[in-house]
Amino acid sequence: MANTKRYWSGLDELHETEAFKTIQEHEFPESKSVDEFLSDERLESTHTGRRDFLKFMGFSLTAATLAACETPVVKSIPYTNKPGEVTPGVANHYASTYYDGQDFMNVLVKTREGRPIFVKSNATTGIGRVNARVNASVMSLYDSARLPGPTRGGEASSWESIDAAVQQGLSGAGRKVLLTNTVLSPSLLRSIETLKANAGVEHVAYDAVDYGAFRTAAKLDFGINSFPSYQFDMAETVVTIGADFLGTFGDSIFYGERWAKTRRPENGWMSRLHAFETNMSLTGSNSDYRTMVKPSEQGKVAAALLAAISGKTASNGLSDVTNAAIAKAAADLKKSGAKAMVLAGANDLPTQRVVNAINAALGSIGTTVRFDNEKSLFQGNQAAFEQLVVDMNAGQVSTLIVSDCNPAYDAANADAFIAGLTKVGTSVSTAMVADETASRCGMIAPNHHWLESWGDLQIESNRIDLVQPTIAPMFNTRAAGQSFLTWSNSDGGMDWYTYLRSTYNGSYSADAMYTDGAWNEAVHNGHMTLGDGVADVPAYIGGDLSVEMKALNGRTGGAFELALYQKTTMGVGQHAANPILQETPDPITKVTWDNYVTMSHSDVDAMGLNGFIGQEAPASLVKVYVGDTSMELPVFPTPGQAPGTIGIALGYGRGANGENIGKAAFQSGESGSFDTDLEGNLIPVGANAFGWAQSNGTHVNYAQYDVRVEATGGTYPLACTQIQNTFMGRESIVKETDFTSYFSERDTKKGLASWNKLITLGVHEDVNADGTIDALDNKPTAAFDLWHEHAVEEVGHRWGMTIDLTTCTGCSGCVTACHIENNVPVVGKDEVRRHRDMHWMRIDRFFASDYSLKKGEEEGTGVIESYRRMEDPALNPQTVHMPMMCQHCNHAPCETVCPVAATTHSNEGLNQMTYNRCIGTRYCANNCPYKVRRFNWFNYPGYKKFGNFNPAQDSLMRMVLNPDVTVRSRGVMEKCSMCVQRIQSGKLEAKKDGTPVQDGSIVTACAEACPTNAISFGDLNDKGSNVQSISQNNRAYHALEEIGVKPNIFYMTKVRNVEPTQA
Amino acid sequence: MQREAAIREPLILGNKSYKDITDDVVGPIQGPAPIGWKIMITISSIIAVYGVGCILYLIGTGIGVWGLNKTVGWAWDITNFVWWVGIGHAGTLISAVLLLFRQKWRMAINRSAEAMTIFAVIMAAIFPGIHMGRIWVSYWVLPLPNQFGSLWVNFNSPLLWDVFAISTYFSVSLVFWYIGLIPDFATIRDRMTKPFAKKVYGLLSFGWSGRAKHWTRFEEVSLVLAGIATPLVFSVHSIVSMDFATSIVPGWHTTIFPPYFVSGAVFSGFAMVQTLLLVLRKGMKLESYIHVKHVEYMNIVIIVTGSIVGVAYLTELFISWYSGVEYESYAFINRFSGPYSWAYWIMMTCNVISPQLFWFKKIRRSLTATFALSIVVNIGMWFERYVIIVTSIHRDYDPSSWGEFYPTSIDIGVFVGTLGIFLTLFLGFARFFPVLALNELKTILKSSGENYKKIQDKH
Repeated sequence: MANTKRYWSGLDELHETEAFKTIQEHEFPESKSVDEFLSDERLESTHTGRRDFLKFMGFSLTAATLAACETPVVKSIPYTNKPGEVTPGVANHYASTYYDGQDFMNVLVKTREGRPIFVKSNATTGIGRVNARVNASVMSLYDSARLPGPTRGGEASSWESIDAAVQQGLSGAGRKVLLTNTVLSPSLLRSIETLKANAGVEHVAYDAVDYGAFRTAAKLDFGINSFPSYQFDMAETVVTIGADFLGTFGDSIFYGERWAKTRRPENGWMSRLHAFETNMSLTGSNSDYRTMVKPSEQGKVAAALLAAISGKTASNGLSDVTNAAIAKAAADLKKSGAKAMVLAGANDLPTQRVVNAINAALGSIGTTVRFDNEKSLFQGNQAAFEQLVVDMNAGQVSTLIVSDCNPAYDAANADAFIAGLTKVGTSVSTAMVADETASRCGMIAPNHHWLESWGDLQIESNRIDLVQPTIAPMFNTRAAGQSFLTWSNSDGGMDWYTYLRSTYNGSYSADAMYTDGAWNEAVHNGHMTLGDGVADVPAYIGGDLSVEMKALNGRTGGAFELALYQKTTMGVGQHAANPILQETPDPITKVTWDNYVTMSHSDVDAMGLNGFIGQEAPASLVKVYVGDTSMELPVFPTPGQAPGTIGIALGYGRGANGENIGKAAFQSGESGSFDTDLEGNLIPVGANAFGWAQSNGTHVNYAQYDVRVEATGGTYPLACTQIQNTFMGRESIVKETDFTSYFSERDTKKGLASWNKLITLGVHEDVNADGTIDALDNKPTAAFDLWHEHAVEEVGHRWGMTIDLTTCTGCSGCVTACHIENNVPVVGKDEVRRHRDMHWMRIDRFFASDYSLKKGEEEGTGVIESYRRMEDPALNPQTVHMPMMCQHCNHAPCETVCPVAATTHSNEGLNQMTYNRCIGTRYCANNCPYKVRRFNWFNYPGYKKFGNFNPAQDSLMRMVLNPDVTVRSRGVMEKCSMCVQRIQSGKLEAKKDGTPVQDGSIVTACAEACPTNAISFGDLNDKGSNVQSISQNNRAYHALEEIGVKPNIFYMTKVRNVEPTQA
Repeated sequence: MQREAAIREPLILGNKSYKDITDDVVGPIQGPAPIGWKIMITISSIIAVYGVGCILYLIGTGIGVWGLNKTVGWAWDITNFVWWVGIGHAGTLISAVLLLFRQKWRMAINRSAEAMTIFAVIMAAIFPGIHMGRIWVSYWVLPLPNQFGSLWVNFNSPLLWDVFAISTYFSVSLVFWYIGLIPDFATIRDRMTKPFAKKVYGLLSFGWSGRAKHWTRFEEVSLVLAGIATPLVFSVHSIVSMDFATSIVPGWHTTIFPPYFVSGAVFSGFAMVQTLLLVLRKGMKLESYIHVKHVEYMNIVIIVTGSIVGVAYLTELFISWYSGVEYESYAFINRFSGPYSWAYWIMMTCNVISPQLFWFKKIRRSLTATFALSIVVNIGMWFERYVIIVTSIHRDYDPSSWGEFYPTSIDIGVFVGTLGIFLTLFLGFARFFPVLALNELKTILKSSGENYKKIQDKH
């Protein structure tokens, strides 16, 4: 039954009066217009007093002010159409390949929301392991010095204008030359062919660091024009004569990993490395036997080795120490036979031919040194380049296209090149930034960054590696290959990608873009394989080398000899504008932001120069003369530098004429401005030493046999992250032994071997149950505890790490990886000099000292003087590289002292830092025995002093910051978090899959970057995990175990393959 | 009335009456400011303003304007903090401990010593504040209920103990000092003719009327406060020393620190009292009240505490060797032979050798020598803290991080600035406050006044 009840609001409604009806109709009164409202005369009678007015004004003003006081709002704009593969907050990885003329490797590029932010090894399908340079190269994508589009005469221009000008130039008479570094890309070579065919262009290639003698020697000795392929994993004895194969020599990114495979004492054998070198290189610091030789003597060493192996002896003028070392090396080589390898770094034909003869005599061609699978690296033709420079100066070159090289900076005859360039009618560069060469060319047609472009690379005859873009081109740039096609009028409307595809599939059309399964797989993996390659072992056809031997043995040097070298961090200078690489300390000297003269302590003392470089102890300046050229540089006293020699790093002094190659390449002042010299020019970081490379017309040798060094009396501050070079005999920090001692006790239980004894303390109870309480009653330090035991074993996860000091080479890849992954601030030279580097991961480099307390006791020196002498490293010391980061102590001394509990322990064994809670008392840093805590002394992302190099202060370079990691503000402490963001996301993935976290599914940035797998990360509570088993190894120990902080990081005793010392 | 042996030296010289005492102390407050005072306060205020400027620059820019680094996280900041806290100790010792021990000679010096304590503790309190990276959240060290979740302070941290120790010490000292001032303020009030000054001193004296009941309560409160303050003399610096002693840094982790720090504090405090009073008695013509005997008494305290400190230094050295701990022994070898050995030997000379000169009565009773040595001790005690803090952490466990500390102009500016602020406050005190405890001095006039003693002798 329907409800018929009626409710009314009043009697008016009930009776439906007229008045009610009117009101109901006009329920909402019609609004008055403003005019009407204001013209209402009744308003005039109302009254707003002065006081009320002021009140309203005051209120409104305050309200408006308060409303304006909000923190700036940064809007994030959602996708209108979300790309299928992009999920905000989830990283994508793409396989690609890095090649810059020196370094080549397969990489995986991590992108977040379309931005590439991290480059790592493509460990699953690729070859090579990332080094510091490749790892940090992602920064260059966001360099604000990159050109926004083509330029002509320094002014912005259009592609049409550039193309017309270049084509006009190419249609003229005279030599038309394309100058590049070694081109590995088949597609690019195809496009160059069109330039050759259609425009009569000649192609000249040269390399910033020339390896021509290696190829020439291979041609003469084996009939193959190839760079040797060194198989370090096959070698039992390696002798290197000045080749820094762990740092910068050749395609070094392949070497470290393979060499490290032979350096695991658990295998029951270890390879042995003999190094004969001038500068203390990364390789020399990792060698078992190291001998200091001058550059002019390196050839003699090779000759003497050849003589020794073939059973001859000849007088060679080398010192007895060197000859003894050669005899020992020769004995080891002969013992290893085909599994021995000799390599030399000098780009010097006689030396390389002798080395080939040694390897051939040993029978190692085809096992450790291979020429079968032709290496395409380093095809530079120095003679052609020099002829080009001559022709340019003679005005015979009408058009010059420069691509992927920078001869105005890195050619030995750069001045002649620059002079010649002014006589070239049409010059164009494809550089991304207006570098030394490009800024002098008439036009710049900027290429894409490698992270923006498609490409292919052929490093060996049987494989093609692919470059795929991970971001759309940010600027108005064009692939160099596309430019070549356009200029040769042969693009036929094809874009570069189509052209690239058609290299591999002649009938490719856009229809097949996504349907070619083989191609898709190749892009996914980053490479494709072309057959099995050639497996023939070439015959040695070297013949008589007596002329070469004579030439080598006849070399002499002056009072000082100079060896030019590349720093592991800076390479040939292509990364000069990369602030992270500039701030990464050199693995040997630990100096950042500079190059310098490395000199032996004995020479430093003899010349009366500063032997100790510290915050307020600047380096002495010297003037180095080569012929009639000179350069003023600071001197860094370097242990292991051969007396009578100096070393200078290449790759510095970029932008010496103020070329805009990137802000970090120049020296900045205190107030954030750039430092300038007296004429107002910018001052580059370091000085350029390429001019002192010595060319004989066909090959460039990076040494000078007679230089003069004069003290100027001036000083220059150097920024060094480690000023104490020895570990002062503190054997609980660094444990090391020799292989023989290791081998004899290899099966002992952890803690019992003589080289890794558990540290114990005497107790007043009968531990050994012999009925008496005496000195034999000891307990390990782990048994002593102030705290209530908090179960950590077998409860949930317990993240831990193991670091093998035997295989750590100190390459610093982990340092840069950590730097980028964790948004670690770049603080610049002045702050590093003030001992305020911010690295979460650092590598402590300890040189051995000749002295010890024991020796002091024997010699009656007294303990004070003994300690003082222990501070000085030996002249040719053994070296330890020890990666050091937060040890995530289970009994962390930092945690107890924080007044606000900003640093606490997680129930997964992490020592975690809560930036928001930190008030910055720095007590934790003082109380940290490992000194790994880093304080934000300034507002690095905002303070003016850091404006020129801190990535967070550059609106473009800020894009490289990892969105998963907070950028810290000033006044808070920070330190290694064990990449907690990776741990969290790894756990989340496992949770989504409904499985336990798999060992290896979570990797920290440092462990991932380590080329030798010295660093392992995992769950110590996972019985099957890699770290768990390594941590139980008898080489595993805790640094500073006796102070009882119980770290979660284990170090593995360093084992050197040397003869046991008489203890 | 108490009687005192005639053989004791009088504590108040000359022929003083009660009125003379009042005149001598209140007179300068009533009269115009002397020119010397004006010059001194101008200089000290300029230094103070410069110091405040340095502090503001520090807070505005970051701790990086100091010379600290990744290895040396504390240097001048905590050195200054401990130095100033230590100086404060003399005041409390004089007014509380000596009160309990009924040492009448303290009456001439306790007021200004206490003022020095208050000002020194204020200076000390500046440093833990400004040494923080984020001073604007410094209130997080207080256990305040909050809405941040379950955030609470860490009671394990000695820095937190410091917060409690210093704040307790400051409040008790302030109350104790002020209670003593009340009757004297009333005296000033009664003598003031200008209405404004009369009003101000009236307010400050809390309506004191000098009734017997007031005096009884005054005495009771003083005794109670002395009882409370006495343990504080020992607790504060013990706790400050635990900032170091509970750490694991070799050279800091030392169990003798609490007594060693307390005696060091008294040692430096008395030196500072000497420095200030020797100027004050001259400037304000108080030679009759603070005279050679007082100085001698204080010098005796300096010998005793200085010797305790010396023994502590040697004990540390011995234990570092005896312990057989590599790091510990190196820390001390480095102290006296390393890059900072100059600081160590300054410390040893100033703190161990120089006070021993006071064994000679001539030196002990010489005002000039006392003044010079008091400055030497102040310098020495600053270096003691510098040596403990910087030489311990600049080379601790991991040699790869060894480094050195170099002060910047801001380090120096802040420290000198606190000296300026301190002197400004003290000069203000000397101008507007009764620098001697009037009411207490009057209680000993008849027993220890020179002329009364003479009268006694005659009878």
